[in-house]
Amino acid sequence: MIEAQNLSRRYGDFTAVDRISFSVNDGEIVGFLGPNGAGKTTAIRMVTGFLPPTSGRVRVAGRNLFEDPVAARRELGYLPEHVALYPEMRVNEYLAYRARLEGMSASVAREAIPETLADCLLESVREQIIGTLSKGYRQRVGLATAILHRPKVLVFDEPTVGLDPKQIIAIRELIRKLGRQRTLLLSTHILPEVELLCDRVMIIDKGRIIAEGTPQSLQERWKGDAELRVELKGASPEAGEALASVPGVVRVDAEGPAFRVRCAPGADPREEIFRLAVARDWVVLELAERRTSLEDVFVRLTTRDSGKEASSPGDESAEEVQG
Amino acid sequence: MSAIWATLTRELRAYFLSPLAYTVSALLLLVNGFVFWIIVAFLNDPRSGGSATPLDLFFGQTLFFWLVLLFITPIITMRLISEERRSGTIETLLTAPITEGQVVVAKFLAAFALYAFLWVPTLAYAGILAYYSDVDWGPVAAGYLGILGIGALFLSVGMLATALTRSQLIAALLTFAMLVPLFSFGLLEMLINDETLRQVLGYLNLWQHMDELGKGVVDTRRLVYYLTGPALFLFLATRALAVRRWR
Repeated sequence: MIEAQNLSRRYGDFTAVDRISFSVNDGEIVGFLGPNGAGKTTAIRMVTGFLPPTSGRVRVAGRNLFEDPVAARRELGYLPEHVALYPEMRVNEYLAYRARLEGMSASVAREAIPETLADCLLESVREQIIGTLSKGYRQRVGLATAILHRPKVLVFDEPTVGLDPKQIIAIRELIRKLGRQRTLLLSTHILPEVELLCDRVMIIDKGRIIAEGTPQSLQERWKGDAELRVELKGASPEAGEALASVPGVVRVDAEGPAFRVRCAPGADPREEIFRLAVARDWVVLELAERRTSLEDVFVRLTTRDSGKEASSPGDESAEEVQG
Repeated sequence: MSAIWATLTRELRAYFLSPLAYTVSALLLLVNGFVFWIIVAFLNDPRSGGSATPLDLFFGQTLFFWLVLLFITPIITMRLISEERRSGTIETLLTAPITEGQVVVAKFLAAFALYAFLWVPTLAYAGILAYYSDVDWGPVAAGYLGILGIGALFLSVGMLATALTRSQLIAALLTFAMLVPLFSFGLLEMLINDETLRQVLGYLNLWQHMDELGKGVVDTRRLVYYLTGPALFLFLATRALAVRRWR
């Protein structure tokens, strides 16, 4: 549905997006994940045809976005990062205008507008002047604009930014619903959003795609070595040394009343640790594997260059993830 | 086509939902009313000798006409693209199935429609004259043709300016800065001795255009100027919008 080939965008000497290629398949929800300033919005703007790329090509629903722009844009619904609307118009007036702009016939628009208002929970404000709406409602009007003409491809840039938690839940619910019927490319810097919504993730940093896969596969691939948190009651001060002698344990650090136990690759010494505790008559209060979240993956991947200064003792992960 | 119509009507609505259309209309009527009063008072004086085409004086033969035109056209166009860029609505507009050229044309037509509408009340002056004396309608029609032609030219210059900047103020100033030479180069005609150059400037002399039209002389060269001029500026505005040298 979306195919981007070697997309680049330079602003003078600065390269915002550097030769990225990706595709989004029919019916997929794909997330663009990256820190602020990574080039997400620039990439999104090129995919929607707003920003001409310095080089590269984009096809949307099989049509070249820059050679056949009007036909390609008809298949596209776009929610920009900053939702901007005409403040003097009423909500239903604005949607009627957008319907005509999209080339919808009057009869199609008569059905689509109330449906879209209902989908976006906007029925109560449809007569209201847009300039008087709250941020959350304006975001929903932006969303309504994107889906009104039932495009095959939806592109949302940070759809939940600046909303309160309740609104975020409502918008995510709507996105999930939309994603079941359509192809969706979503950019965000909020990790739970990606884990919650996306089939596939592309992590973008400094204008390049540095990792790609399902949220699970990314966690799997970048999880590094397992780490345990062990809290023991009644343990003697040398318990740390005892733990370090368990096979498969690489290193032990005290962390408040508990220990952080780093394990050798592939090793799972939980059972041994339990037996040790029983033998020494310690009560195990906690024995848990610390899971690698997508957040860890994200932080590791996007702080690689600056990692040298940032890494604290016991955090050598900066080197490990190079592969 | 429906995209052009949708954008045109949206722009017109925006004009009449803001104080701008009313303010400009009031300003124009105030000045025109004053000019009309002066003309009538002047021509009623036996010493003036009267005139066969009294509205000729009204159509561009006073500096008021030009001053008002030089002021209101930048004000009409300054918002059109600059405001969309400033507020960000340009992003959803230009990702809709509408080309840059269609956006420019739609907005220009909206500005032109407003401009034409602003002149409608002045038809009353011709009506008043017709009530008290005979009016030759040919020169009146030609005069309005000139008003529309010069308006199209000035508004198209405004379209180029508003496509170049996100600031309405700069768009207006830029338009004014381009209109002043466009208007006054023709006036230099009398100061030039070189025959060729004088002819070129004479061709561009808007004051003289209006003088001829007000007397009922319709020269096709003038009409070509009022069609090609706006076409050129609208083309440049479209290019300015298409390159999107903004972040």
